[in-house]
Amino acid sequence: MMAELHNYLGVGAVLFVLGAIGFLTRRNLILMTLSAELMLQGVTLNLVAFSYLHENYQGQAFAVFIVAVAACEAGVALALFVALYRRKRTLDAGAWRELAEEGLDSGRGVEEPPVAPRLPVHPEFPRLTPAGRVPEVPKRRAERRV
Amino acid sequence: MFAQTDWFGGPALAVLPPLLGFLAVWWLMPRAEAWPRSAGALLGLAALASGGLTLFQPGTAMVQNLLFGFFALVAIGAAVLMITNRNPLYSALWFVVVTLCVCGLFLLRSAPFLAAASAIVYAGAIIVTFLFLIMLAQQAVGVAAYDQRARQPLAATLLGFLVLGGLLCALRPWVTETAANRSAATSETAAATSASRSQAILRAGVSPDPSAVRHSDATGGLTPAARQAPLRGSPLSQRGDQPVGTVRGLGRSLFGDYLYAVELAGTLLMVASIGAIAIALRTPQGKR
Repeated sequence: MMAELHNYLGVGAVLFVLGAIGFLTRRNLILMTLSAELMLQGVTLNLVAFSYLHENYQGQAFAVFIVAVAACEAGVALALFVALYRRKRTLDAGAWRELAEEGLDSGRGVEEPPVAPRLPVHPEFPRLTPAGRVPEVPKRRAERRV
Repeated sequence: MFAQTDWFGGPALAVLPPLLGFLAVWWLMPRAEAWPRSAGALLGLAALASGGLTLFQPGTAMVQNLLFGFFALVAIGAAVLMITNRNPLYSALWFVVVTLCVCGLFLLRSAPFLAAASAIVYAGAIIVTFLFLIMLAQQAVGVAAYDQRARQPLAATLLGFLVLGGLLCALRPWVTETAANRSAATSETAAATSASRSQAILRAGVSPDPSAVRHSDATGGLTPAARQAPLRGSPLSQRGDQPVGTVRGLGRSLFGDYLYAVELAGTLLMVASIGAIAIALRTPQGKR
């Protein structure tokens, strides 16, 4: 029972590192924030494991405050993202590169990738959020509809 | 129990899971061109399996171990999928999976209030509002170009897994100490254990001797003696006869020891909500 402490610490370390990697590599502002939350989850796991080890509530109380601060952070971040999105119509963190300090080589590795041409959208179609593959309509039904 | 020390002591199984994980994460990172992702998935599964083998401890508390392994492996796998998915919608949903698994780990560590709170706050509130914004952005452009390619994937992944290797290496002495303690505790007699425990209590409670502190540090604070050491804290949060982890105890601690901090957290929440409303307002006040 006690021996499991290092397991929890290990899982917390893995979550923390994965969050750090996500924060460094992703370019979407929302995903960067979510990666930071992932790092917080790892830290919270450590605190709870130590609270269980020492059989007191200090770690759990600290973790409750972490959750509260994470909620504040998410709210302010969301408001900022809405304001930024209204300016430039994008959630790309690289779109705000001119805010960086001058002389920094901040543009390295963030050049725009060649994008596959998007299929033209029929003007009468309702514009739904593409959340996956386009479903394949069975042949028979398609013929019947025509 | 039988091979725990050898497995962790052997360099192969201590290095293998992070290495496989590094390869898997790097392979799965979003790129511009099409590439076979199944190889990355296989690498990731191999990393999870080897990591699970290293973590798995045959012995007592089998159900707890199985639950821990399930929650831990699903959390890690979902975290990898979250940071490597090209579609931010799916990433947000994988984050929900990570959160729920971490809540399961909280429950295993007897923190039910924290599990409920983080499930409500993370999976309920934060993700839903972020999903709204993601859908708003995707309605205009679809899956955007900036999501289809990672920034410096190799360097970031290498750096991250170097940090992870350092952290796991720092944990390794604890693991071997724990295994040694466990085998020692089974062979030791009860009288000797209680004698050493009372000695350790005396040492830890009476004299702030650095050597005694170092001794309890060297055993990782994992021995029963260290567990019995007197706790600091005000009398409100002192454990009575009831077990640790009840919501009642946490409430007493929060509103007894940490009352000012709770008030501060409430103030912080209010300030943050006012700030969020002020930032996100479409037309600033008085500029209409």
